[in-house]
Amino acid sequence: MPDATEGPTELTEYAELHGCSCKLGRSELDSLLTEVDITTPQPELICGVGEDASARPIGDDQVLVSTIDFFTPIVDDPYQFGRIAACNAASDAFAMGAWTDLSLLVVLGLPRTATDVATALLSGIIDAVDEMGGVVAGGHTIMNPWPIAGGAVTATTTESSLLQTTTASPGERLYLTKPLGTQPAMGGLRVKDGEFGETVTDTTDRPIETIGEEALAWMTTPNRDAIEAAHEFVTAATDVTGFGLLGQSKLLAENAGVGVSLTHLPIIEGTLELSRLFGYGLESAESAETSGGLLLTVPEAESSAFEASLSAADVFYREVGTVTEGTGVELRDLTFEAISR
Amino acid sequence: MERVDVRGEVCPRPALIVRDRLADLEAEALLVEGDYPPAKGNLTRTCSKHGYEVEDRSEAGNDGFELVIRPLDDEGDNA
Repeated sequence: MPDATEGPTELTEYAELHGCSCKLGRSELDSLLTEVDITTPQPELICGVGEDASARPIGDDQVLVSTIDFFTPIVDDPYQFGRIAACNAASDAFAMGAWTDLSLLVVLGLPRTATDVATALLSGIIDAVDEMGGVVAGGHTIMNPWPIAGGAVTATTTESSLLQTTTASPGERLYLTKPLGTQPAMGGLRVKDGEFGETVTDTTDRPIETIGEEALAWMTTPNRDAIEAAHEFVTAATDVTGFGLLGQSKLLAENAGVGVSLTHLPIIEGTLELSRLFGYGLESAESAETSGGLLLTVPEAESSAFEASLSAADVFYREVGTVTEGTGVELRDLTFEAISR
Repeated sequence: MERVDVRGEVCPRPALIVRDRLADLEAEALLVEGDYPPAKGNLTRTCSKHGYEVEDRSEAGNDGFELVIRPLDDEGDNA
């Protein structure tokens, strides 16, 4: 692993918005897509706009899943930023049930004064894609005031194995495959040494560095093992990103014409307290996540087999709620569970 | 009314700056001027949950935001 701490560059200092927080808001994105009339179904595709990735039939029951995702630095270490960016980009393909034939084309933008981090950043992307069983097939680089990294991802699946958000049904259980809290964990790291250091470190019993390290470990955990272990039991899937668990649940509810009831939030230990201090809304599932877990719906009858399969694959999971007959998302008798690795 | 300018500050700093100013507030309200988009929502959320009334005085078309934050008494009325 390259030593990424040598350079003087603090990557997060270059950008005002970090990680998935730099996404355009849901309502702004919806307005934009409506304005250019790209929200209606396209005959060439099984699905496209509105899903995590597009799915195009290519014959012999095969489906080509393609997606693109890139964002601004959420950590200062360029190698780790590269790993997070690659895991996050590929996650959208995994959320569609596609993990075979995985290829990633790198998207990389760096300020002229920060090009020294390019080697470490690219190494992080390549190592993560390798770990996910994929290949880095090329890419494109530009000079840009805010550093950006990510990739265009393709993978294949079959029509019967393709997963979407539209196919959730009332009565099914809702599972999440990573704990929440990456945004307050990263926020804590940014202010732990300055004038608010004492306030922040007094907020939680855990060292801010430990919380940050655990969040980093979750953000660099690919969702590949999760989808491979889960796919045969799952009816609908998405991944949790900048819209947070609440926003992603709303999206799933709208797309499937169902309601979602959230009852349980697994949270990286210490981040609930940090979120309350920062106003990030983790206690109501609103906090943005970067490279978050998969949100999966599983029929009641399949839930035991689903849980056994994820346990056997050593993949984290928690039941976080249920799919209901209603509309929208309700938070019902929420319980919180502190998760430490 | 007291004022605090958090323009140019990136989250989570605006919430921490406002928290300190509210702890020492002597006037009936605190006017917060900011320009970091997520800070508006984060400040509104955290102040509402900690017993403050938040009034949005942001002007449409303006890049920044203005929030007026007033402490509420135990019954939820303006102190």
